[in-house]
Amino acid sequence: MMSARASNLWVVWLTLGFALLLSVSTMPRFMEMGRPLWLALFLTFWVLALPHRVGMTTAWCLGLLADVLNGSLLGQNALVLTLITFLVLTLHQRLRMFPMWQQSMVLLVVFGLAQLVQLWLHALTGNRQPTLEFVFPALVSALLWPWVCAILRGLQQRIGVN
Amino acid sequence: MVCRQQLEACGYEELAIKPLFTKGPSLGVRLLVFTVLAVALMVVDARFAVLKPLRTQLGLIVEPVYWLGRLPVTLWESATQGLSSRSELTAENERLKAEQLMMQRRLQKLAALTEQNVRLRELLNSSALVDDEVLATELIGIDPNPFTHRILIDKGAQDGVLLGQPVLDARGLMGQVVEVLPYSSRVLLLTDTTHSIPVQVNRNGLRAIASGTGNPERLELRHVADTADIKEGDLLVSSGLGQRFPAGYPVATVTEVIHDSGQPFAIVRAMPTASLNRSRYMLLVFTDPRSPEQRATESAQAQEALDREILQQAGTPPAAAPASEPAPDVEAEQ
Repeated sequence: MMSARASNLWVVWLTLGFALLLSVSTMPRFMEMGRPLWLALFLTFWVLALPHRVGMTTAWCLGLLADVLNGSLLGQNALVLTLITFLVLTLHQRLRMFPMWQQSMVLLVVFGLAQLVQLWLHALTGNRQPTLEFVFPALVSALLWPWVCAILRGLQQRIGVN
Repeated sequence: MVCRQQLEACGYEELAIKPLFTKGPSLGVRLLVFTVLAVALMVVDARFAVLKPLRTQLGLIVEPVYWLGRLPVTLWESATQGLSSRSELTAENERLKAEQLMMQRRLQKLAALTEQNVRLRELLNSSALVDDEVLATELIGIDPNPFTHRILIDKGAQDGVLLGQPVLDARGLMGQVVEVLPYSSRVLLLTDTTHSIPVQVNRNGLRAIASGTGNPERLELRHVADTADIKEGDLLVSSGLGQRFPAGYPVATVTEVIHDSGQPFAIVRAMPTASLNRSRYMLLVFTDPRSPEQRATESAQAQEALDREILQQAGTPPAAAPASEPAPDVEAEQ
């Protein structure tokens, strides 16, 4: 029984890999400003769905891969993703009971905080960013959350990941 | 409905969740540990070069992601290539032939000039490398962060790419390699806000430093005196003073010179000659790793050895004279 359960964890890694792919896919210049935080979205879903399987360790390792992919300082994305996972894990008992729009609102705040930390780290490493534009990705991600959630839940139930 | 499903899911997972709260450190402790780890990694990565091999190894894992991300583009291109009409191909062929003719005309002139240059340098006893070795490469990705100007190219450590290696396109310098992965590398473009390049006005040799502005079509010259002889339309070439970029490659053309009496320096804006946000194919330049002093010393030693050889041959009977003929060739190759 346990082995059958564990064997389906590849779906989690596959979707997270897909999120990595989406996070570097080419987009038109004007849309780059609002590129959704794909990694954070996918990770949040799996943390909410399987809090006993996907946690901060996963987030940290994933963040490290994202750092290599983006060429940022090693640990930068790892820190931000760990923070998101921490917030989602502390809130997850409540988040799971919320209706979808309320989940989106909470996640907007969580992603906004994460973007703020990201902005600070960028400022420390010398890449200046215009002030308020850093909220756009959080906003777009919060709007995308219901769809991401629906698609991933469908996938999770069809394949039976738990 | 979704809520109910979640509730059910909750019920199922209760067995699995419980151990989480009984064993292992609390969430706060884990956050602290991971934060400290991440911060330590960042500091080490920013200050020391210890983590470069780790990054390279991880690069091997994530490189396929870029390849996959480009797959639709590659497929689309191969499809359009297969289906492009005959008339289009003929037109392109014509255009390329015309271009080649023009290039060859310029090359003829260049050959004479190179010859002359080599001869003059021989007279000066310095054998600077006139022609650099290059490697063609293709763009495979653009940095997702819109505030940095970095691109990814399809040649990496396996092809001999080095850190800090200059990259150029058909029209001028584009940037330098800042990160080498096994099969790809990351290039920082000239227009990134963190990039600067030493340049020279081609017309009169005036030196300056061109810094990126974050705008892909603009560079700014720093600390140019108000009285400096620099005009709109001047070509800026790399001066090679930073020992990073080879000398003499076009960098930018001056588009604007503003003399403001309230400012200590003139404001000089230039546009990069390379099409930084359009080029698909680029060249990696392999410059001589030796410093100019080393190069001068080595060429002087070679010259001395040659002179000694000629002297010896002059001392020996004239039977050995034909053997001295290859010597000038050796000199020219240097």
